Amino acid sequence: MNATPVTDGSEPIAEPITVDLPPGASSPVPDVSSEAGNRGGFWGCFVSTFATIFLAELGDKTQVTTLLMSAQSGQPWVVFLGAGTALIATSLLGVLLGRWLAQRLSARTLDIAAGVMLLTITAWLLLDIVAL
Amino acid sequence: MDFQLLGLSFVAVFLSELGDKSQFAAIVLGGSSKYPKAVFLGTAGALLLASFIGVWIGDGTAQLLPTKGVKAIAAIGFTIMAIRLLWPEPSGSELDPKTEETTPSAP
Repeated sequence: MNATPVTDGSEPIAEPITVDLPPGASSPVPDVSSEAGNRGGFWGCFVSTFATIFLAELGDKTQVTTLLMSAQSGQPWVVFLGAGTALIATSLLGVLLGRWLAQRLSARTLDIAAGVMLLTITAWLLLDIVAL
Repeated sequence: MDFQLLGLSFVAVFLSELGDKSQFAAIVLGGSSKYPKAVFLGTAGALLLASFIGVWIGDGTAQLLPTKGVKAIAAIGFTIMAIRLLWPEPSGSELDPKTEETTPSAP
């Protein structure tokens, strides 16, 4: 188990990570050595997340749902308000669950699990493309 | 304000997004990134914009946008992120020379 905390000294982090933590100790800031979304700091992470999710969601079933509901009801803003709060809630739940998992897994395990999940999402998208 | 419609759209979208790929992406990226707030803002913003476009354009969305090509680009993006996670650069990230690359940022 490669649980050695890896600090990336070049990235500004709000609070410095002590490297003496025993493996398994949960630190307030999880030791993360991953690369995905970390390039370019906060805004790089924001832009890469925004772009991939946006492209993946275009034409997806949620968009079709909101589209149909707004067309049927004739009140697009009410539908958008309901859909918007639901989307914010699901993304918040997702990120919180991710943080929770990150504090319980070693950095390397987390990276591998995350990489496999991202490949699964890729396969999911490819299936969507085939099914369209 | 039609609260029944509001609740209906909330529940419909919440249930259809729960366990969908964008939520998985939020879990994965939120857990593995140093900037969970950026991941949250990026995910929520992208979903809001996508549904806004759905509401705004209405029925024309599927015809206006080359959905297959757009999804293919997203698939490539996710693959790149996965490769970065699964095969990090050798010699660890202690002194990663690539972190010095300057990103085009606002002055």
